[in-house]
Amino acid sequence: MTDTLTPQDADDALAAEYVLGVQDLSDRAATETRIKRDPAFADLVTAWENRFAGLNDGFEEARAPNLLPRIEARLFPAAKSARPARLPMMRWLSGAAFAAALVLVGVATLVPPRPDLVAVLATADNRLSYEVASYGDRLQITRVAGVPAVEGQVHELWVIAPGAAPVSLGLLAEGPLVVTYPTPSAGWVLAVSVEPAGGSPNGQPTGPVILTAQVGANI
Amino acid sequence: MSDDPIADLLAGCAAADRAAFRTLYRDSSAKLMGVLLRILKERAEAEDALQEVYTRVWLRAGRYDPAKGRGMTWLIAIARNLAIDRLRARPATSSDDGLDLVQDSTPRAETRLIALGEARRVSDCFATLEPDRADAVRGAYLTGLSYIELAARHAVPLNTMRTWLRRSLLRLKECLDQ
Repeated sequence: MTDTLTPQDADDALAAEYVLGVQDLSDRAATETRIKRDPAFADLVTAWENRFAGLNDGFEEARAPNLLPRIEARLFPAAKSARPARLPMMRWLSGAAFAAALVLVGVATLVPPRPDLVAVLATADNRLSYEVASYGDRLQITRVAGVPAVEGQVHELWVIAPGAAPVSLGLLAEGPLVVTYPTPSAGWVLAVSVEPAGGSPNGQPTGPVILTAQVGANI
Repeated sequence: MSDDPIADLLAGCAAADRAAFRTLYRDSSAKLMGVLLRILKERAEAEDALQEVYTRVWLRAGRYDPAKGRGMTWLIAIARNLAIDRLRARPATSSDDGLDLVQDSTPRAETRLIALGEARRVSDCFATLEPDRADAVRGAYLTGLSYIELAARHAVPLNTMRTWLRRSLLRLKECLDQ
């Protein structure tokens, strides 16, 4: 009987099914892809989220532990890794130049550039997920779900330009990885491999490649 | 400042304001924990999911558009989607889970709904549906029931369930959009 729905009603029903969450995993994934690619359909989904918002009072509040320290460790680079890099430069500077540099640092801190999501590297079930955002001249890679590699191993991130060999962008540990690198072009591939602790011994992926994503696709 | 403090805090997060993020966690984590616990039913997994939710919230705050809905609605959508993805990725549920779900028939939620304006309208519109269909829609929204589980619970074939639910949803829309 569903085939008697008009195309508009079928789209609306699909958006509602997605918001309700009744679909199986593969149908959900297909609908998510459509949401990302079809803004008009995404608006139908938002409209259903708003329609059902009246049911949200049915969710009782529950005691939430303070997980902020763990969340912030995932999101924000540790302060200690950022500061030493600046110190050698400070020694060069004196007087007015030093003050001017401080002002520049201050401005940079006050107006952080807006990040631009360039790729999501995730397993099919989203149990392990990294997001790659560009801040213009640098990339930040944040673990959204899952845990870093087991003891003795490490996740290593690679960027692969068309026809080129993989280039390591660094190792993915507890906190986010920040690396000076321009925004990769659409179509470039990012990949995560499992390497021995300390990273690939030969500068190329040696362990299994567990995640790949094309820049700009499906985000 | 707007009349939506959560939306203001999300705007702060989009501007990389970590203090706003902390306040957002303080003011919304109990609600989102409630959502995750209700759907996932296991505290350890709900806590793990809560970390993931707030990680996503920080990374996606720039995509929140206050013109399209309230901040809490956006947060709850992120939490529900994540919980349902985890639920669907689990191996098939046992019959014990089915019994558990049948007992979770949400009368308390319904009673609480009646007091509130927007919620009142939802409640009125649910009342225009056959009771078992309204129950199916509510059960799916609040506890994350799948089509397969709904069909088993209401003892109808999967395709019948799907047709039922889609028609009920379109009727709900008609009523809610009036």
